[in-house]
Amino acid sequence: MADIRLSAAPVLGADIAIGDNRIVERDDLALVSVATPQGGDDAIAAALQSGFGLPVPGPVQSSGQGDMRAVRTTADQMMLIFPHATPDAEPHVRQALSGAGYTTDQTDVWMVLEISGPDTLAALERLCPLDVAGFADGAAARTVMEHMGALILRLGPDRFWLMSASSSAGSFCHAVELSYRNVA
Amino acid sequence: MIINHPLLGPRDAAEFVYLGDAGLIGRPDGMADNAADAFHDYTYLRDNPAGEHRELWYHEQGDRSWLVITRNTLTHDITRVELARDVARTQGRSR
Repeated sequence: MADIRLSAAPVLGADIAIGDNRIVERDDLALVSVATPQGGDDAIAAALQSGFGLPVPGPVQSSGQGDMRAVRTTADQMMLIFPHATPDAEPHVRQALSGAGYTTDQTDVWMVLEISGPDTLAALERLCPLDVAGFADGAAARTVMEHMGALILRLGPDRFWLMSASSSAGSFCHAVELSYRNVA
Repeated sequence: MIINHPLLGPRDAAEFVYLGDAGLIGRPDGMADNAADAFHDYTYLRDNPAGEHRELWYHEQGDRSWLVITRNTLTHDITRVELARDVARTQGRSR
C-alpha cells in the first residue's frame, strides 16, 4: 500500500522584506468562527471564559489569552485565531466550548499576513479606509482593501495581522507589498 | 459619504450596498386572505420622497449587518442609523 499523507501547505508562503519592514504569511494559524445562537450570549461568554479564559470581545475589538485571539467579526460572531498544527481545529474549539456556539473551520479560506516595520502605518493609510493609527493594540475590524474584503487586527505599534480570502491571496499580498514599496 | 454605524462607528459608504425602502422589512403574511393584494403592494408600491427617506443598507464589506438609514434624498444628510434587526423587533418580529 502506498503511504499517502496530506499535509497543509501555505497559501503563498510569502516572506517579503521591504527595507526594515516585513510581510510574512502566518500559515501556522487556524481560524474557527463561532456564531452565537439566538439568545445564547451568556452561554457563549461563560463557555469562552471556561474553555479558553477569554472574555467576549466588544465591537471593533479582540481579546487575547496566550496564543489565542478572539476577534469580533459581527454582532453575533467572532473568529478564534490560534496556532494549531493539525486539521482538527474546529472539533477542538467545539469541545472546549461544549457546543455553546455554532463553530465553523475557516482555516482554509483565509490567508493571514503578519506585517511589521516602521513604515507599516504609512502603508496602511494608503490601503485601508479605516483610521488604523487610531486603533488601540488589539483593535480589529472587517473592512475592504483594494476591493478585497479583509480583517485587520492591530498587535502592536507597528505590527498588524491582515486577513483576506485565500482565493485572492496573491492579489491581496501584491497590494500590500506595493503599498509598502510606495512609502518605504 | 460616511455612515455612522451604530456598533462600529463611522465607516466609508464604499463598504455598504444599498437595497431600497425600509418598508421591505414588513413582509406580508402569505397565508392571509388578502395575501395577493398585500404582496402586490409590498412588491410594487413605493413612495418616492424628495426629502427624508428610510432605507435599507447592507454592510457587505464589514460586519454584514443590515441597517435602516434615514437619509435626506435632496441633501444626502444622514440623520439616523439603526440596526435593521432592532427596527424589526420593535415592529413585533422575533428576530
